[in-house]
Amino acid sequence: MEFTVSHTTSYEYESGVTFCHNIATLKPKSIVGQTLLDYQLIISPTPAEITERLDFFGNTITRFSIQQHHTELKVTALSKILRDSSLQPDIESSATGKTITLETALESLKTNSPEHIDEKQFILESIFIAKISPEMKAYAEVSFKPNRPIFEAAYELMQRIYTEFEFDSEFSTIATPLHEVMKEKKGVCQDFAQIAIACVRSIGLPARYVSGYIETLPPPGKEKLVGTDASHAWFSVYIPTFGWVDFDPTNNQIPKNQHITVSWGRDYYDVPPLKGVIYSTGKNKMKVAVDIRPAV
Amino acid sequence: MPIDNNTLFKNYFSDFKNYDEVLKSNMSVNPNWDKLLNNITEMGADTLISKQNEMDWLMDENGVTYNVYNDPKGMHRAWELNIVPFLIHEKEWETVEKGIKQRSELLNLILKDVYGERELIKNGIIPPEVIFAHRGFLRQCDQIQYKTAKDLLIYSADLARGPDGRMWVVNDRTQAPSGMGYALENRFSTSRILPDIFKDIYVKQPSHFFFDFNQMLIEAAPQNKENPNIVILTPGPLNETYFEHAYMSSFLGYPLVTGNDLVVRSGKVWMKSLKELKQVDVILRRVDDVFMDPLELREDSYLGVAGLLDVVRQQQVTIVNPIGSGVLENSGLIPFMNAICQYFLKEDLILPQIASWWCGQKKERTYVLNNLTNLVVKRIDRSNRESIFFCEFLKPNQLEELKQEILTNPYNFVAQEKISFSTAPDFVNGKLEPRKVMCRTFSIAHKDGYSVMPGGLVRVAPERENLFVSNQRGGVSKDFWIVTDEHQTNIQNYSWDDSCRISISGINDLPSNTAENLYWSGRYLGRALLTARFLRTVLNKMSSEQYNKQITESESLLNLFQSVTNITSTFPGFIGEEGEEALEDPLKEILSLMMDADRMGSFAQTLSSFNNSYYSLRNLWSKDMWRVFDGIQKIWKRFEVEDDKTSTPALIKVLDRIITRLIAFMGLIEESILVDQGLLLYFIGLQTEQATMNIAKCRSLLVINHREQPQYDILEALLTSHESLNIYRYSYRSYLSIENVINLILLDTEYPKSLTYQLRRIQKDIDRLPHSEVTGKATDCQKYISEANFKIKSLNIDALLVLDPDGVIRQNLDDALAELSDLLHKMNLSISDTYFNHAYQQTQLVNQNFPL
Repeated sequence: MEFTVSHTTSYEYESGVTFCHNIATLKPKSIVGQTLLDYQLIISPTPAEITERLDFFGNTITRFSIQQHHTELKVTALSKILRDSSLQPDIESSATGKTITLETALESLKTNSPEHIDEKQFILESIFIAKISPEMKAYAEVSFKPNRPIFEAAYELMQRIYTEFEFDSEFSTIATPLHEVMKEKKGVCQDFAQIAIACVRSIGLPARYVSGYIETLPPPGKEKLVGTDASHAWFSVYIPTFGWVDFDPTNNQIPKNQHITVSWGRDYYDVPPLKGVIYSTGKNKMKVAVDIRPAV
Repeated sequence: MPIDNNTLFKNYFSDFKNYDEVLKSNMSVNPNWDKLLNNITEMGADTLISKQNEMDWLMDENGVTYNVYNDPKGMHRAWELNIVPFLIHEKEWETVEKGIKQRSELLNLILKDVYGERELIKNGIIPPEVIFAHRGFLRQCDQIQYKTAKDLLIYSADLARGPDGRMWVVNDRTQAPSGMGYALENRFSTSRILPDIFKDIYVKQPSHFFFDFNQMLIEAAPQNKENPNIVILTPGPLNETYFEHAYMSSFLGYPLVTGNDLVVRSGKVWMKSLKELKQVDVILRRVDDVFMDPLELREDSYLGVAGLLDVVRQQQVTIVNPIGSGVLENSGLIPFMNAICQYFLKEDLILPQIASWWCGQKKERTYVLNNLTNLVVKRIDRSNRESIFFCEFLKPNQLEELKQEILTNPYNFVAQEKISFSTAPDFVNGKLEPRKVMCRTFSIAHKDGYSVMPGGLVRVAPERENLFVSNQRGGVSKDFWIVTDEHQTNIQNYSWDDSCRISISGINDLPSNTAENLYWSGRYLGRALLTARFLRTVLNKMSSEQYNKQITESESLLNLFQSVTNITSTFPGFIGEEGEEALEDPLKEILSLMMDADRMGSFAQTLSSFNNSYYSLRNLWSKDMWRVFDGIQKIWKRFEVEDDKTSTPALIKVLDRIITRLIAFMGLIEESILVDQGLLLYFIGLQTEQATMNIAKCRSLLVINHREQPQYDILEALLTSHESLNIYRYSYRSYLSIENVINLILLDTEYPKSLTYQLRRIQKDIDRLPHSEVTGKATDCQKYISEANFKIKSLNIDALLVLDPDGVIRQNLDDALAELSDLLHKMNLSISDTYFNHAYQQTQLVNQNFPL
């Protein structure tokens, strides 16, 4: 499948901005099963400087600064992506990956063998996922049992979050603490992903945060409206002997061709699509518009 | 030497159970201390007491301070230096020095490795969690390359003598180690107060070390410049060691800046100076890692510079120490240090460390949990200083909590053996007492290795049996001597070859934040002086009018009261309907104007604003200035707690004393700071404030026409508060007339206190400020002040004196003064806009919580 993605973030500044520094994490990855065919980042006003580099986790980040007075900032990422999830290793058909139990997995992770040394840092606390509560651990332990395959357990965890948590875009912001989300069982895709990560880490397995897009389909017979999509997030669990397996708790499915991966990190903090420091005295208003459609 | 009958040593032995620096277990004296103890004994207890008092006085007088957070009395607390030094003989020091050099190099290699190849982790020398779980491991700094000879440029180790008689490493400090300046000041002060204590003892001096330090900063510049621009970045006057930041700034001659003074543009770091942006090559920082760049690191930080880390990445600026070096302040590394040393250097550690167990390993964790009460537990990252657990003092439930915490995230914890470190003599209450000591040492990178400061900063436990030694909680320090058998030259101030010293070359390069603080110092000082003088005049008038209930009937006094409100802009005050109540009890209102620090325009508030701008500038102030300033503080503090605050004579007395010191202070400023260092800004602030307040005073006192007697009283009060009565008598030898008063204090072209003179002076000073050469046009502030000068020149005394048809008001005078006041106000705004452009606040595009 070929997709075109357009992701526009715009800020309106009430009293203007004289100067700003920004970092954008918007460039989709080229990984097995996903090839970035074309990518353009259009920024208005034109930045005085712009550089691109890989971050610690291998995501492409773009840093730019605007040195002229402006009242609106508009950042548009246009990508063309070839997606073929059939090229990815399939956990369902991996006898060992599918059946490795929690006990065995934990035992294998104890060693510092080079194959999972980098993965092991995803077991540790991170900026937004710290002080994991006993409640979260208990929630995880309902699914994760020593002799149960971890794939099965993670799948069930995803299902439970999907059924037990309510999608509520009014409830949370990126600053809402995790335990608040856990208590109210409400939130958006970022919250669900981070809850799942906290649960998986609480039992000692590596879990990471994946940021990207999902293609939404219009109701049958209707034409898809422009800008109805949004950036999306899900989680990924490291299964020793197999590798990383993605789970989307917001849509209760293992990401396939409708999911496009932009970046990953320990949690949202590592991969915000756009952040920055502005020099201004007034308030600002933000708008995001994402549009994903099959390329023609 | 005989100590049994030495009264200084009385009780030194009681509860003697510790390893002591002086007394060996067989009660004989360590021969290295012989001469020092002789010198002390010869001085005798009485001399020592008076020397210690003198030392305390000197520290206080010189403003050697540190701040303690969360302690209302903690701000600007005087630094304490005990007169008895701590010493180590050169022979032992040689080994310690070697050990420090080895450890510096080792930490340097670890720093390079964890942000580079991570061989230590890949080869299993250290477990990955020790780095990856440490909050000081900043993934943003991964793979950054530095041009400097070493990655770790400054290293500081806390050492203490362990039970085996060797010096042990207790802490590693690598982000922004403090103490070097205090160590230097301790040496200067000891040399000054106690020259006799050095008799027959040769002490190594740190002069060469500071030369190396300066050289290191110069060579750190990424572009091999001959004159790199070096700045010292401070979190600001509230920081606990701000004294030292300012001290190092004036000692090394590099500007002291806050994050606000720096900006990242076009891939470089710039200092905002009065004239333009000036590229910065090296930043010696006293700000912790995560606060250095709100773009990539902690976004709630206002102490750093947005975009800085990327400039470091592009090798356009060097930060000393590099951002990310906090990962080395890591007790999780301790158990693996010897293995790391073997891995990199194929040798053993020279300096012993405290036995430590990292809880991330099963065997170690089990040991720790089984022996918890005998251990001290720490987090591997010390970002949270309060999380050191002395388990022997924990209650059972606290122990259980700690156990659970360890079990949840074992990799976050390290347990260490409880160690009793050595004691050394401290002079307390006329006697010597054994106190635990901790030595902070310093090393600096150069091409081929590290140089170590001979000595350092010794800190003493605050009480006899105290475990904790830390300046954070207060405490006493000592001069740290390395004694040698070879003759040494005495220390001299600034005793290094300064051929390579770079300093700010002129007013153009003045950091705009410093300029702003100087300008405001001038304004607050001017305001404080004028307010104090006017209040004093009014108080004097009150006592001579036989202050009584009928007081409001005195026309002149009523006018003076209302002027107080006008001049200080503290409405309603004595004015209008709401003013009626204040007039019932005028002393109450005047007292509030003096003492209420929360009231805008009050004397107390002006004084406290002045204090703030003063502290931000202390690298520019001389010791004499500090002394006078401190005198003002003390008078004020004593007065605040005095009972008899409400009597007019008491108020007059305190104003008298403060006014004298304010004037002394102003005199000192003028002779201590160069115009190019920013004195110009101070003058502009001072003159502008004085001119503005004089205008307010004249509008309030001269516009309304009074009968003859009240008029006389008012004119007299005006001249008195203006300190111009004598000049008036000398110049006019006449009865006080409003015409002559206006001529003298507004229109006279020769008298320095006249408004005409002041305005001319302001114009002259403003013309000397850097102006845009590109446009060649006059700036707005030049325009406003020259308009004001033009206006005042055009004034005609006869026209000013004209009364309105009712014979009540001199409208022309009021209009003219109002216009001048308005022009000065516009000029002030324009100065702020042009020169102190901090108007735009740093904000985050997206607000995230950063829980730590």
